[in-house]
Amino acid sequence: MSDHDLKTRREFLRTGLLGGSLSWTLPAFLSRTMDSLHAQADGSLIQGVTGRDGNILVVLQLAGGNDGLNTVIPLGNDEYRKARPTLGMADSVALQLDPKTGLHPALSGLASAFHEGNLAIVQGVGYPNPNRSHFRSTEIWATAVDSDKSSTTGWIGRYFDNACSGCDASVGVAMASQMPQAMNAATPTGVLYQGGGGGGNKKKTKKKSATSDPAMMTMEDDEDAGEAGGSIGMLSGPGSLGKLSALDFLERTEMDAKVSQQEIAQASAKAKNSVPYPGTRLGQNFAMVSRLIAGGMPTRIYYLSQGGFDTHTQQAPAHERLLKEMGDAVAAFLADLKAHGNLGRVSLMTFSEFGRRVKENASGGTDHGAAAPLFLAGGGVKAGLLGQMPSLAPKDLFDGDVKYNTDFRSVYATILEKHLGVKSEPILKKDFPTINVYG
Amino acid sequence: MLATLAASDWDRAKASLLLQRAGFGGTPDEVDALAALSPAEAAESLLGPSRLVAPEPPAFLSEPDLKETLQSERSKLAALSEKARAEAKKEFAQFAKTNQRRHLTELRGWWLKSMADPVRAAREKITLFLHGHFATSYEKVRSPYLLYQQNCLFREKGYGLWSDLVLGVAQDPAMLIYLDGTLSRAEAPNENFARELFELFTLGEGNYTEQDIQESARAFTGWTTGTGSNNKGGLQFGSRPTFKSVAKWHDTGSKTIFRSTGIFDGADVVRLALAQDAAPRWIAQKLWRFYAGWSAPEPLLQELVKEWQSLKGQIRPFLMAMWTNPNFYDPVRAADRVKSPTEWLVGLCRQIGRPLPAPALSTYILSQLGQILFEPPNVKGWDGGIAWINTASITRRYEYGSWLVEGTQGLQKLGSLNMVRVAAESGAMTVAPPEISPEGMVVTHSAKDMDPAEKQAATEKMRETIALSPAPVASIATSEQRQNPEKLLTAMATRFLAGETVSADLRTRFQQAAGEKIPFTDSAIRKMILAMVQSPLYQVT
Repeated sequence: MSDHDLKTRREFLRTGLLGGSLSWTLPAFLSRTMDSLHAQADGSLIQGVTGRDGNILVVLQLAGGNDGLNTVIPLGNDEYRKARPTLGMADSVALQLDPKTGLHPALSGLASAFHEGNLAIVQGVGYPNPNRSHFRSTEIWATAVDSDKSSTTGWIGRYFDNACSGCDASVGVAMASQMPQAMNAATPTGVLYQGGGGGGNKKKTKKKSATSDPAMMTMEDDEDAGEAGGSIGMLSGPGSLGKLSALDFLERTEMDAKVSQQEIAQASAKAKNSVPYPGTRLGQNFAMVSRLIAGGMPTRIYYLSQGGFDTHTQQAPAHERLLKEMGDAVAAFLADLKAHGNLGRVSLMTFSEFGRRVKENASGGTDHGAAAPLFLAGGGVKAGLLGQMPSLAPKDLFDGDVKYNTDFRSVYATILEKHLGVKSEPILKKDFPTINVYG
Repeated sequence: MLATLAASDWDRAKASLLLQRAGFGGTPDEVDALAALSPAEAAESLLGPSRLVAPEPPAFLSEPDLKETLQSERSKLAALSEKARAEAKKEFAQFAKTNQRRHLTELRGWWLKSMADPVRAAREKITLFLHGHFATSYEKVRSPYLLYQQNCLFREKGYGLWSDLVLGVAQDPAMLIYLDGTLSRAEAPNENFARELFELFTLGEGNYTEQDIQESARAFTGWTTGTGSNNKGGLQFGSRPTFKSVAKWHDTGSKTIFRSTGIFDGADVVRLALAQDAAPRWIAQKLWRFYAGWSAPEPLLQELVKEWQSLKGQIRPFLMAMWTNPNFYDPVRAADRVKSPTEWLVGLCRQIGRPLPAPALSTYILSQLGQILFEPPNVKGWDGGIAWINTASITRRYEYGSWLVEGTQGLQKLGSLNMVRVAAESGAMTVAPPEISPEGMVVTHSAKDMDPAEKQAATEKMRETIALSPAPVASIATSEQRQNPEKLLTAMATRFLAGETVSADLRTRFQQAAGEKIPFTDSAIRKMILAMVQSPLYQVT
């Protein structure tokens, strides 16, 4: 190497290429993250703010508008039968929970959970002045503000801002391709985990080929979804920058990715699933969440979603498949949590942006509706039916839709106060009455 | 009139920004050529001719019709036992599906190639915008042919009148299937299309009533596709339906839409919707946000709306007006536009002068980054902006950046791909249609019937075919720059970061990548390129 080269290189090293400093300079907003990481290394911040030992919430979004009436079915109900001459489920096939209420037959996993004491059903959940747009109604559920107001942050994001300041980003983990709007926080928090890595992440596990090469696993197309409900797959909202510029956001996300990747790899390697899960994408995502919980991730909120519930046409087969996929995955998850001793500190909440019109349409489907039931599962919940099965008498409907009797924010408030142990008012910006679902 | 940028304010940095935003980016030479023009000339040269010079259609369109291919075998179905018939039908469906997937992959590769053609880039960019705006997915439509037709509609009318385009979409077979128009009848109107037409395509939420939707749904009844739909509103494999207006399915009664009453049909609904005050605001804002990367605040939006109205909703001159407006180059917002995965992939290939990856690999990369062309996540399309970026996608952008810059050979980088599927979708495994033997047995010829060794060999070959060689760097770094780190950094920042100021952090990464040896080797140059590509700044434009 010539002197010239050496000189150039020395200058290069001393001054940086365009005269900048050599140190890794972190933007100001990152230093707080770094501080909290250092604090965690000392162990001083781990207790209390993380999900390592504390309670955990798992949210499952059923995107597209799940038909609540064919999920939790009113038994011996003439109005139901009149409104649903072809789509209505016969009393005899429903899985009976009490004399007036049954579950869709595809939900046998949830029926067992109900009888084992780990599933509560809150009926007639909705909000005043319901909106029938997928996007707007999803936004209302995500932001938890009145339907005529808007907010740039989501309810889970505000929980992070209020209760987890100083946590690292993986306090929220979304098993999705995009950050759910509910996790939008003033300080961007939450990481994404996308399972697999194979094309489309929908690998079927039941088919084994002769060789062990994973690339040889399947040839068959595994995209049988679609048809009914196809126009609404995954629903999320536009991201929120808080006060950051796009570039700040990118830098922060890069840092979060580096930190959380390591955490997730470590946690998931530590634990194994103790029950078999369905090979569906949802099943595999639940399997991963269970491993992350058992592996000691500091995550308090996990967010999963299942798409395809927008059943305007030929609803019956599509809805059955969707419910089976959901019910089987949830049942495996609950069993796995129980085997690991984690069931008591985990709550699972399902929701959908709206239910569907009481009266079926002429295409063998149902149009956008309003209130619907939701599921709350876990060791801590009191099993049973809460709220009221709304009346289906035409005079009791609003524009042909089920009227709500429980505001969804009451469910949020209950989870925040009774399960996550924080005051709900600063997060929901209002006081909502809690419901009696935790023992 | 919207303000226009003075020629004296036009410079290389703005030209570079325009090249990225109007199309898919390019080389420093292309930037220099644009910078030498006036802003209006630069915009005009990117836009290209008003009349479309259509690209050659994808090859799959001239393949024999799938129905014909299967015709002779299908005719044997009747003679089979019930069990064998069911089995045979399943195999036919599987064969058709594999074929459709192969066509879809080809369609994607065809479109990406057109995007990477500098002469077509701007036209393809508005086509990409319209695909996201009028989002329609293969997941429901199940026809690469119809999605190609829709793509052609966007390309052809994308420079024309907005009202023509909206009407064209309302009568587009893929859209009619996607939003259930094919099933809508006078006695049972389906609201799906009418709702999204107002909420997402033309007006925005809050600018219509539930009654407007219900009455409009009635007006659209009878607009459907010709033969080829099955009773679920889906499409029979291989059929190529066209738009049809069926009088007996149309509701001829009086309707009240946006406070007007009359015997309206679908064309009337489009006309009435576009006459609403909210209509120009909606599309002007969406176009601005797509191209500039941020929402126009009120005074600017009003100017954009006035411009749109004075142009009577002609898209090409409106693009011209946006691209020559000083706000488009607002330095404060310069780094606020996040590249979509498609822009990222096509742009990077253009900048490093490499051909696009094989269609199946491009499809894989884009799907992992969150943008599967012809399969948007829902009818709202992709949210875009920072929604492209999350902890998973940024890691993947960095990983695929290394594939494209350093190549994939000798590395296990492609290990996660399903090679059999890739091979099938690329047409590398010729799969013959199932046959029914004289004994009434179903004989299949799909990849799963190949013997393991044959299959192994085919997938190995596929792996080689889609493997990426290291990017050519001879033209990226001159021998003089290889001796001089400062000059090299400046040249690379010009090429990859639109001349943006390089942060101290990036400088450090760049320096670490450079290593110690001067002059820099090809391998060191690639590492330096990668330091640029694997930076937050590279993700914006």
